[in-house]
Amino acid sequence: MGRAIVITSGKGGVGKTTTTANLGTALAQLGHSVVLVDADIGLRNLDVVMGLENRIVFHVVDAIRGKCTVQKALIKDRRLDNLWLLPASQTDDKDAVTPDDMKSLVMELKHSYDFVLIDCPAGIEQGFKNAIAGADEAVVVATPEVSSIRDADRVVGLLAAADVPARLIVNRISPQLVKRGDMLSQADVIEILALELLGGIPLDDQVIATTNKGVPAVLEGKSMAAREFVRIAKLLAGHEVEAKESVGFFTRIGRALGLSASPA
Amino acid sequence: MMMWENIKNLFVGKPSREIAKGRLHLVLAHDRTGLDGGRLQEMREEIAKVIAKYVEINSDAVEIQIETRNRETQLTVSSAIQARNA
Repeated sequence: MGRAIVITSGKGGVGKTTTTANLGTALAQLGHSVVLVDADIGLRNLDVVMGLENRIVFHVVDAIRGKCTVQKALIKDRRLDNLWLLPASQTDDKDAVTPDDMKSLVMELKHSYDFVLIDCPAGIEQGFKNAIAGADEAVVVATPEVSSIRDADRVVGLLAAADVPARLIVNRISPQLVKRGDMLSQADVIEILALELLGGIPLDDQVIATTNKGVPAVLEGKSMAAREFVRIAKLLAGHEVEAKESVGFFTRIGRALGLSASPA
Repeated sequence: MMMWENIKNLFVGKPSREIAKGRLHLVLAHDRTGLDGGRLQEMREEIAKVIAKYVEINSDAVEIQIETRNRETQLTVSSAIQARNA
């Protein structure tokens, strides 16, 4: 039986979809079978971030309504052997789906795949409730900004109320700004949200460039952000994150952020 | 309103990172209680009345502070008590 992980944030535009695409791709590279589910019905975007927008025939609402089988609605990513996308519908709205629909859909996917990553829409209304309904755990994405952290905190409360354990990814950290005292550090965000940290993604031009091309950054290799996405994927999957490598990484990041050698 | 002004002044001159942290601690504490300003004011007045039943206070001196650390939110009521003219 696989695991269903919802990627959520409250606020829009903080990198949920990019995180879903990169973690999913990295998990597939590590040899796990992965389905990415776009739960943002009406505003689908995971397809374009993955570069699979031209291959959509059926979507999640078709599968839920029985217009096609779930298998038939899945798009296979040709770049990797074990990565699929279940796209959202662009023409329906959020209440075309109920939390129970999502629960049984995700359950069905968990029988056949190691990981079901659910890309949650922004907000805390129906779309959010649908997206978390089938999830075993959550990844909360926040950028080091007041509005993002405030919304993330709301979401953390709602996840706790729904008994979904959550861990944190701090996205788009600029070491220069942190050093200058003009950006909250990774440690600040952890302290405020009191969540277990999965990782901190540095602000990285490479992510913008690869997203333009419809290629997840982890497929293009060696950028700082890609390396951290891979490390987080290993952590999620319970792979050994080598002690040596991990200490080195934290030390580097810690120095870059102007912290001591200790990783918060 | 006064309280917010005071808090703002306290932070003048700090790096924006520290200001952001301070603002977040306050905003989140309030968000987590689900109490808006009006309800908070009501509660303050009610508590002041209760205290005034037992000791002499200036009801304006009753202050409520909500603070959050590690997902635990603490509500503190403080009030100066007027000395008894024995």
